[in-house]
Amino acid sequence: MFSLPLFLSTGTLRIFVMANFLAIFAMSWDALSGRTGYISFGHPFLIGIAGYTTAMLTYHLGVPLYLSIPAAVVVTMIGGTLFFLPALRIRGTYFALVTLAFMEIMYHLTQVIAPKVTGGTRGLSGLPEMVSGAIPNYYLTCSVMLLIGIGLWLLIRTGLGTALSAIGVDEEAVKSSGLNTNRIKLFIFTISAMIAGIGGALYVHYLGSIAPRALFDINFLFSILVAALVGGAGTIVGPIMGAYFLTFLLEYLRPYIPGAGRFVLYGVITLVVYYFAPKGLYSIFSSLRQRLSGKAGTG
Amino acid sequence: MAQVIIQGFLLSGLYALIAVGFTMIFSVGRVLNLAYGVYIMLGGYVYYVAVQILSLPKFPSFLLAGLAGIVFGVLTYLVLVKRFEKDPIAVEISTLILAVVMQAVIVLIFSTAPRSMWPLIPGRFEVFGVSILKNILFATAVSWVVLGSLMVFIHKTHIGRAIRAVSMDAKGAAVSGIDPQRINLVTWALSGVLGAIAGVFFATYTQLDPGMWVFPLITAVAVVIVGGIGSIIGSLIAAHIIGFMEVATTTWISADLRGVFTMALIIVVLVVAPKGLLGKAEL
Repeated sequence: MFSLPLFLSTGTLRIFVMANFLAIFAMSWDALSGRTGYISFGHPFLIGIAGYTTAMLTYHLGVPLYLSIPAAVVVTMIGGTLFFLPALRIRGTYFALVTLAFMEIMYHLTQVIAPKVTGGTRGLSGLPEMVSGAIPNYYLTCSVMLLIGIGLWLLIRTGLGTALSAIGVDEEAVKSSGLNTNRIKLFIFTISAMIAGIGGALYVHYLGSIAPRALFDINFLFSILVAALVGGAGTIVGPIMGAYFLTFLLEYLRPYIPGAGRFVLYGVITLVVYYFAPKGLYSIFSSLRQRLSGKAGTG
Repeated sequence: MAQVIIQGFLLSGLYALIAVGFTMIFSVGRVLNLAYGVYIMLGGYVYYVAVQILSLPKFPSFLLAGLAGIVFGVLTYLVLVKRFEKDPIAVEISTLILAVVMQAVIVLIFSTAPRSMWPLIPGRFEVFGVSILKNILFATAVSWVVLGSLMVFIHKTHIGRAIRAVSMDAKGAAVSGIDPQRINLVTWALSGVLGAIAGVFFATYTQLDPGMWVFPLITAVAVVIVGGIGSIIGSLIAAHIIGFMEVATTTWISADLRGVFTMALIIVVLVVAPKGLLGKAEL
């Protein structure tokens, strides 16, 4: 994976960079929602507050990136605990709606409250880059993504992963077996927010600009959700696969279908994949592998 | 003050109409139809094409828009929702994908440029020094007529009672001989036509653009949450709370902040009283 820049053009590398970012966001979503059943429709909220924190710090105060990015991650983790408060009482669809409301509030607030600081509707541009050029950015995002993936994998291998899945199945049962589900939820929400914070902060410094409609947007939410679900929620490889699948699907359609038709086809393909494999691509691959290795797989 | 009362009343009527189709699906099928905003968008665009491009008369165009809503509502149910019936989250995700696909379809056909719709009834008049667009007044009037007939339909007709039965207890309804399939189909058709009609008015109220489905969807969500699931009266009251709140915010504070208060209301209601004002259903 790390030798890819030797063979690929910078254009292709830039697609890889976008796929890596989407994979980070999807993993963050998956950590919070993939197992627990607390479906977050507000991940753009977390990514957005990370982006805005670092953007405002560097743009107005000239804070160096090595300080502004950690600051953004900390602010996002605090934001993640905001998600935790409604999760004390409600779950499923209702939780999804509250988080969606958080996202919409931020969309309005960034434009209204102190537009001089946030850049208002147009946002801020000309933000400093962390590293410049396609190849360093590729290495950066790839390493961050892999580190997060490995970190999550190590975390999920412990009893925590089992507890999270158990919460998704029957939270009351987990409670009655003596586990403090609120502490588990608070922990995983903070972890998810941390990942979203890291991804969000790096993302705006990669793009060099930030605007409310680009971040607090239902289409952005759509990409994150679909990457995690089409790849396979509750697995760590799944969201990465989903992110790559979606990003490259959109790019490979480009030469064949001009203009807006590409997005129609992209959406339809996504819908068809989700329709026939709601458990995600990962489950198809793992059941295939089981069949090939001769084990009687039940799916 | 007169300004806020009159405008608030007019806007709330429209919001009630927007929300009621969404409420019905939520109470009968217990699923969130995130493609509901698409019915609204579809209604608006079909009416626009019929009147402003094909130069058809207004009334048949209005019916055409309603028909498009019915067809699309029924298709959503048959193709997507039935497959994921046991899994409300999957319904939400798949309808969200559908909405994004339809947004892309609209961009493909009409481009991203916003289009303005001719009012159904042009002109304005003044009451107590407040200028009222006849078009908005007409929208509110129609919305009240539609909501009234819907109440009669739900409470007095056989199918309406069956819809209520399924929304209270799907199993019990099935035991007493109601085919939940058929009731679902009727509900989705109703939801589609209500959405499309609301869409025609909403589009004349604002404008047509491919992203226009998001705002009514979120408003509908807010109304349903605040009013409580399974309660049309609750939705009506909630639509007025939200409508008046938005007009008051716009008039006295700032037009940019109206969405913020609505969203804050959703969060407060969901956290404090998840059943809403008049909700009957268990969570």
